[in-house]
Formats: sequence, C-alpha cells, structure tokens
Amino acid sequence: MRGAYLSYAAKRLTQAIVVILLTYVFTFVVVSILPGDPITNVLRDPQNGFTEDEIKAIVAAQGLDQPIPVQLWTSLSHFVTGDLGLSMRSNRPVTTLIAEVLPSTLILASAAFVIALLLAVTIGYGTQFLPKRFGQGLLRGLPSLFLSVPNFVIGLALIHIFGFQLGLFRVIAPNSFWATLFAAVALGIPVSARIAEVLIANLDNESEQEYAAVARGRGLGQMRLFAKHLLKPSSLPVVTVIALAIGELLGGSLITETVFGRTGIGSLVQRSVSTQDLPVLQAVVSLAAVVFVLVNLIADLVYPLLDPRVKLIGGPKYRPTTADDSSTATSQAVTS
Amino acid sequence: MTLASVSSASRVAAISRLTGLRVPPTVALSFAVIALVIAWSLAPGLFTSHNPVVGVPADKLLGPGTTHWFGTDHLGRDLYTRVVYGTASSVTSALIAVVIATVAGGLIGLLAGFLGGWVDIVLARLVDVLLAIPNFLLAVIVVTAIGFDTTNAAIATGVSAVAVFARVMRSEVIKTRQAIFVEAAFLMGGSRRHILLRHVLPNASRSVLPLAVLQFGLSILVIASLAFLGYGDPPPASDWGLLISIGKDYLKWPWLVYAPAFVTIATVLSVNRISRWLRTTD
Repeated sequence: MRGAYLSYAAKRLTQAIVVILLTYVFTFVVVSILPGDPITNVLRDPQNGFTEDEIKAIVAAQGLDQPIPVQLWTSLSHFVTGDLGLSMRSNRPVTTLIAEVLPSTLILASAAFVIALLLAVTIGYGTQFLPKRFGQGLLRGLPSLFLSVPNFVIGLALIHIFGFQLGLFRVIAPNSFWATLFAAVALGIPVSARIAEVLIANLDNESEQEYAAVARGRGLGQMRLFAKHLLKPSSLPVVTVIALAIGELLGGSLITETVFGRTGIGSLVQRSVSTQDLPVLQAVVSLAAVVFVLVNLIADLVYPLLDPRVKLIGGPKYRPTTADDSSTATSQAVTS
Repeated sequence: MTLASVSSASRVAAISRLTGLRVPPTVALSFAVIALVIAWSLAPGLFTSHNPVVGVPADKLLGPGTTHWFGTDHLGRDLYTRVVYGTASSVTSALIAVVIATVAGGLIGLLAGFLGGWVDIVLARLVDVLLAIPNFLLAVIVVTAIGFDTTNAAIATGVSAVAVFARVMRSEVIKTRQAIFVEAAFLMGGSRRHILLRHVLPNASRSVLPLAVLQFGLSILVIASLAFLGYGDPPPASDWGLLISIGKDYLKWPWLVYAPAFVTIATVLSVNRISRWLRTTD
C-alpha cells in the first residue's frame, strides 16, 4: 500500500510539473499571436514618451528582437526561477505588481470561500431535514438557480439593495468591512452552488446507509446525526471540487472586483488587457495555473489518505460522486 | 389569458404524445421560454413596435408600465425592445460557442479515445493545460488575443469549454470501444473508419447532448460577463450582458439592470432544466 502510494504520488507530481510548464508555453503562444504589433504600439504610444533609444533599450532588455522560440526559452527559464519579467507599461517587475494587489484578492477570495462552504453546508442540512414538500424542493433547486445567475448581477443586486437602499456601505469605499463582505457574498454564491451539488448527492447517499438508520434508531438528534454521521463522509468528495472552486474564485474575482470597484488581481488583469501588457497577463495566467495544479495535486494526494475506501490500484472500486466526471483530474486519478 | 393557457396545455399534450414521454410541467415551461427566446431572435419586429436604437428623449428613464414593459433607458429607448433585439446576438454567440466546444472537444476526445497510445498522451496533456487555466480567465486571454467583438467573445467562450467536452467524449469512446458489438464489428472485418463513424461516434455522442445543452446556458453567462467587461460589441448593440453593464451606471433606476438580468436568468434556468431532463430520460 505504502509503495503504491509513493509511486502514485511521484507520478502525480511529475504530471503536475509538466502541466505547469506546458501551460506557460500555451499562454505564451496565445499571447504572442496578438493581432498587430502591440509591443511597439505600446512603446510608440506618444503618451508614454519614450525616445527612440529608450525603445531600443526596452526592446533589447525584454529580448523582443529575438526570434519567438528563443524568446519562449528565455522566458520559460526565467519563469522556472521565479522571475516573471517587467511590465511593459510601468517597466516595474511583474512580481512587485502582483504582490501589491494579491492581499486584497486573497482576502476577498478566502472570505468568499468561507461563505461558499457555510452556504453549501446549510443548504445540505436543509435538504436532509426540512419537510419534503416545502423547504426541501426549494433548497434542492437553489444550486441550479445560483448557477443560472450571472455573478455580476448578484453583485449589482447586492449593491442596489444593501448599498443604495439600506445604506450599509458606500460604493466609493470598496475596502470597508461591509463592502468586502458583500463582494465576498457575490463571489461566493456561484461557488457554493458547485459545492452544494456534490454535497447534496453524497448526503443523500450516506443517509440511506445502514449506519445512518442505526444512528436514527438510537434516537440521535438531527444536529448530531448530521454533523457526526452524515457530513463527515459526505464532505470527503467535496475535496475534489475545491480545486475547481479555487479556479472559479480566481476567474470570478475579475468580475466581482470590477463591479465593486476593488483593486486586486482581477482589476490588474483588466488593466493589462486594455493596455495589452503581455508580461503581466502571461504571469497572472501562469500563476493561476500553478495554484490550480497545486491545489488539485494536494487534493489528489490527500484523498487516498483521508478515505480508506479508495484503492489506488486494483481492489474493489468505490466511486464517490464528484462534481461531474469531467470536472477534475481527481476522479480520474483516484478511481482508475 | 385563458386562450394562452389552453393552447400551451394542448401543446404540452402534443409534445408528450409525440415523444411518448411524460413531460414535467417545469420542463414544458422551460421549452416555452426557449421557444419565446428563439422567436425573439428570429423576428424581433413581431414582438415590439418601438425602435431599439432611436429613443424619445422626453420619455427617458420611465419606470416599467403598460406602454414600456421594462421601462426606458437614459436615452428614452424602450428597454423591452432593446432586450428583444439583443436576443439574436446573445443566442447566436452562445450557439457559436457550443458548436466550437462540441466539435473541437468532441474531435479531440474521439481521437484520443479511439487511437490511444501517444496520440492519447499528447491530447491528454493539452486538455490538462486547458483545464489548468480558470475558465473565465482563459476566455479573457483568448478574446484579448483575437480582438474585442461579440463573435470573438463567442469563440473565446467556446475555446474555454473545449476541455470539458474532450474529457467526456474520450471516456465515452473508451467505454463504447470495449462494447461487444464493436468487437463484433472488428471481427466481421469492419474498417477502423467505418467502426469509428458508424458505431463509436453515434453511441459516444449520446451523452454529449445534455452536456451541450448545459454548455449553451453556461455560454450565455460567460458571453454576458465578457460583454459586461466591455469585450463584446460596443453600444448601440444590445446584448443582454451589455444592457446590464449599461444599467449598472443607473442603479437609481434599477429596472435597467433587473429586466435584462431577469430575461438572462430565465433563459439559462430553462436551458439547465432541459439539460437535466435530457440526462434523466436518456
């Protein structure tokens, strides 16, 4: 078992590293097919006021006079050492730019994640214990509704109701407690739907098991039954959606930060898109991929340790319900 | 009102007779919503007498009422008319996205699953890369690369969904390949191409249909988000996402956000309901 686990871990680790490097190459290719010549467009923009010599110096410093494969190789080897290059607009290191805005996004995303988890567990609890005809059907439809609402609409509705009507926060102070909280709610709601879907399916499955019937027969209260007997086994498969949720939080922050006027990774991306600041875009996408791959890797490595029913190679197959079969690498790796 | 309900009830009966299936009322309602949306996009002129581009300045920012169902915007244009005329672009772009995702993803999955070996390994890594970039971020990067307009936003949305389809198609193809009837076809001397087109593809694509329907709803949302950020066609286009984006600057007149948002949500919700129904009836 131990040997099997170690070789599985080694395999997943190399796979993760390969995917990260390939993602970098992929982004480089996509970004370098930009129409026209954005690089010289930016540099020759009279607003920037670069002289001809400065332009030459910048082009040489960025290595832009080299052929594309050479550029890719230098860029990739810098990336491996953690050097993300210079921003084309401000000529400052991209790492500094990202470090400046990262805390704001981290606060928003982690708050959103906590809200998403709380919401999902609450919905899950409701689907097990509310009366069938009234609350339950409504709650079971909730994830589907959450996934049908554009998340900027949730943000705008929150601003309209709590900002304009109730005056809880002011849009011009986007970093105040209430503004951050509501931004996190807007970001967290679609994510909670994904988690809730998986959670509900597994809760339904667990509550049909014999041990749940025994626990009920022993006269256990709803809260105890839910927390001790149903939630724990049901939340294991949720680990597999978490990587997906992180990706969604990153993507969603683009919109949410715009709606609430916050600075962060999302607004940095938006600014870089409008100014075609390629090194910044390349860096953000690569970092997002690194985060996604690492979280996925951790989920894959931790999962077999958490759930003794999962056999890596051979053995009886136990298949937890994951988001859907197409969503994460985990379901494939764990159950194959 | 009675007339409408009678006709829709008889239509439901007709549908259920046609398919021999019992259609739940929510699914029937969803089909009705989609039918209306399709009608809006095909013949917007039939549903409204106002002009979507030219407004009456004196009537600006009126609340919803009998003459203006969704109210009017800051230029005095009827919002309902704007929504109806924006439908074609919103629906078509979502369709483009679905077609790209299904065809490209399906092809990748088909080749990977059927050929196996190094083709599978190479394509699997490509899919891993596409999955590693958050969906929306990927769409933003691609639309930046190919330029800002609604068609490009649709293409970008399609590209960002390729991986999901490739994954599902690959696993379905592998499942079908191992089926006994495929083995029999091989033994009877069927060529690879014949087996691929005649046996594997039709069987494997069956589970792709609900996914494609689901993706249609998702694409509407992603394209609306791209339009919201200003990566689609500029005004006077009236894509749903763009209408909401314009409305956000007039939150004192909240129907400018809520009315197009309501149409978007109703459409996506209906599409998702139909997709779930397809999955369970299959």
